[in-house]
Amino acid sequence: MSDRTREKELTGQLIQAEKMAVLGLLVAGVAHEINTPMGAIHSNNDIMSRAVKKIEKAVGPGADPEVARLLGIMKEVCRNNEIATERIMHIVRSLKNFARLDEAERKYADIHEGIESTLMLLQYQLKMRIGIEKDFGDLPMIECHPNQLNQVFMNILVNSTQAIPHRGTIRIRTWKENEVVKIAISDTGVGIPQEHLSKVFDPGFTTKGAGAGTGLGLSICYRIVRDHGGTIAVESSMTGTTFTITLPVKGR
Amino acid sequence: MKGENVSDNGNNNGSTPTILLVDDEEMVLNSIKSFFAIESNYRLEAYTSPIKALEDIVGRLMHFDLVISDYLMPEMDGITFLAKVKEKRPLVPRILLTGYADKENAIKAINNVGLYQYIEKPWDNEDLRLVIRNGLEKTVLLKQLEEKIREVERAQHDLSEVQKDILRVFA
Repeated sequence: MSDRTREKELTGQLIQAEKMAVLGLLVAGVAHEINTPMGAIHSNNDIMSRAVKKIEKAVGPGADPEVARLLGIMKEVCRNNEIATERIMHIVRSLKNFARLDEAERKYADIHEGIESTLMLLQYQLKMRIGIEKDFGDLPMIECHPNQLNQVFMNILVNSTQAIPHRGTIRIRTWKENEVVKIAISDTGVGIPQEHLSKVFDPGFTTKGAGAGTGLGLSICYRIVRDHGGTIAVESSMTGTTFTITLPVKGR
Repeated sequence: MKGENVSDNGNNNGSTPTILLVDDEEMVLNSIKSFFAIESNYRLEAYTSPIKALEDIVGRLMHFDLVISDYLMPEMDGITFLAKVKEKRPLVPRILLTGYADKENAIKAINNVGLYQYIEKPWDNEDLRLVIRNGLEKTVLLKQLEEKIREVERAQHDLSEVQKDILRVFA
């Protein structure tokens, strides 16, 4: 590899890493901004349903049937709002978990929590089209940069969704082996041709063409996992691809 | 002491407890105000500005039994505000309302300022009510404790007077 090419790759990786950092800030900012109005709506809805109950009590069982009907509608609306706000709060929590900007750089974290947050954010890509099968083992907390590992999960999962043309399944399996944890992400997609398999972690390698990918996603995953003292491997056939990430429980 | 415990409808003095609430977001103040109106008879002193609240604590000698403050505010953060409140009114329980993004920093600061509790946004009204009730109860217990200590001190003083008398008689 010439110095020129090497330099180009490094610049590309740097730009991509910078983009991810900006994205993290953006995500955390959005989560924070939504949080306060969300809190007010959540509380106000609770107040409304309390008020409805008090009105019911005040008018008693002999209430005008129209009043009773309207109170019934209001109760139903409050219940519905409650479900809707719970959903938004769950999304906000996932955004916050994904970005994890409020945390010390390196810490013991729950890998499953990171995977769940990432899946939540990918919901709209998966919906109806791709089923998720989770086979989570009993994992210890591992010493890592959680936000970086979330980027790895995000990159691989996006690749998996893009590999599945119509309908399919992504299976995520985790388990512990001695002092390492393993995360295998398999898809039922079109697979990667054998001649490309050795190049998927190379910076700039892409077959997707402009718009679909930068060709940097997997090279960054490779670097992040390596910086954690782990490895990332890929296997592929005509019926799908599996990425297996191995991470030490105690970081280095 | 006549007080047993504090309900949402008053403390042991029979007066209505006053809550000082500071949040730069009007919608948060309004929501909590409505909640108090429907589920308690707490009096609310609501401020969007921590600086104005401090001015009124000093200038107007504003009375309040418990203080709740938002964390992230443009003029002054909630930890700084509550630390200043502590200087003026050391016995009033201090509660911090925190958003997701600042939880970890807030928890660190909580240990430094000695807060009574923190509540996370989006908050649950029932939790809020419980935290306030317990905070007020704590104030009552503290007052009772102070009273008991004074009683014990008085008793000890009386006892030592008696002891002196006895010594004098036998001297």
